[in-house]
Amino acid sequence: VTSAQVEEVLAALADPTRRRLLDALARHGEATATTLAETLPVTRQAIVKHLAVLTRAGLVAGAREGREMRYRLRPEPLTATAAWMSRVAAQWDARLDAIKRLAENG
Amino acid sequence: MTADRIEREITIAAPVERVWAVLTEPDLLSQWFSQHKPPEIDLRPGGLMRLNQAEGYDYLTRLVRVEPPTHLAYRWASAYPGEEATEANSTLVEFTLTPVDGGTRLRVAESGFAALTIPPERVPVAGYDSHVKGWAQKLEELREVAE
Repeated sequence: VTSAQVEEVLAALADPTRRRLLDALARHGEATATTLAETLPVTRQAIVKHLAVLTRAGLVAGAREGREMRYRLRPEPLTATAAWMSRVAAQWDARLDAIKRLAENG
Repeated sequence: MTADRIEREITIAAPVERVWAVLTEPDLLSQWFSQHKPPEIDLRPGGLMRLNQAEGYDYLTRLVRVEPPTHLAYRWASAYPGEEATEANSTLVEFTLTPVDGGTRLRVAESGFAALTIPPERVPVAGYDSHVKGWAQKLEELREVAE
């Protein structure tokens, strides 16, 4: 896991359309940009651009099938990013506990 | 779900003014957030709070919102000790204090991870789970953390 990878995953997930694309791929297993365009209110052209961002972040992988690319999810980068965010959240839990102790014992 | 935001909350059996003091007064801050020595703090929007979490590690945190005793927000460049927090190098930490029966609900949100450049040594590699357990589960885990 590199820092660049975590950054790209977070940036990729920051966009609501891309999160919907990931949800759609999770439901369908694999899908082409054309199929995805039928299920989301976004043009095929826009979906291709979003898939490129998701591919760079390592969250999806495309394989050529005939004239189209079939995309599937790759959960590994998300696992690493979720672990990182869990650690940040756990630090806040510890800090909030410390604040509580200080406030209640003042 | 906002992917680059962490939210946490806790209920504290103390009045909001007391919790506000723990968040803003140097002697109290030094007991949970600036353990090395009490911070210098210029408590106003735009003011600087110098946290010292260890020898040689000063965090030049920029106050964004100061509305006692309910709202406090600052930009925290936790990945860049010694550098003043800007929008490019920091996350936004927001505290909201709400009076509730018997005390205060304290909520903290830290956001802006997506736009942040994280130095490699700050990104953990331990605990990386290379086993793929399915996207839906991982997304749910991330959602729980991020929501």
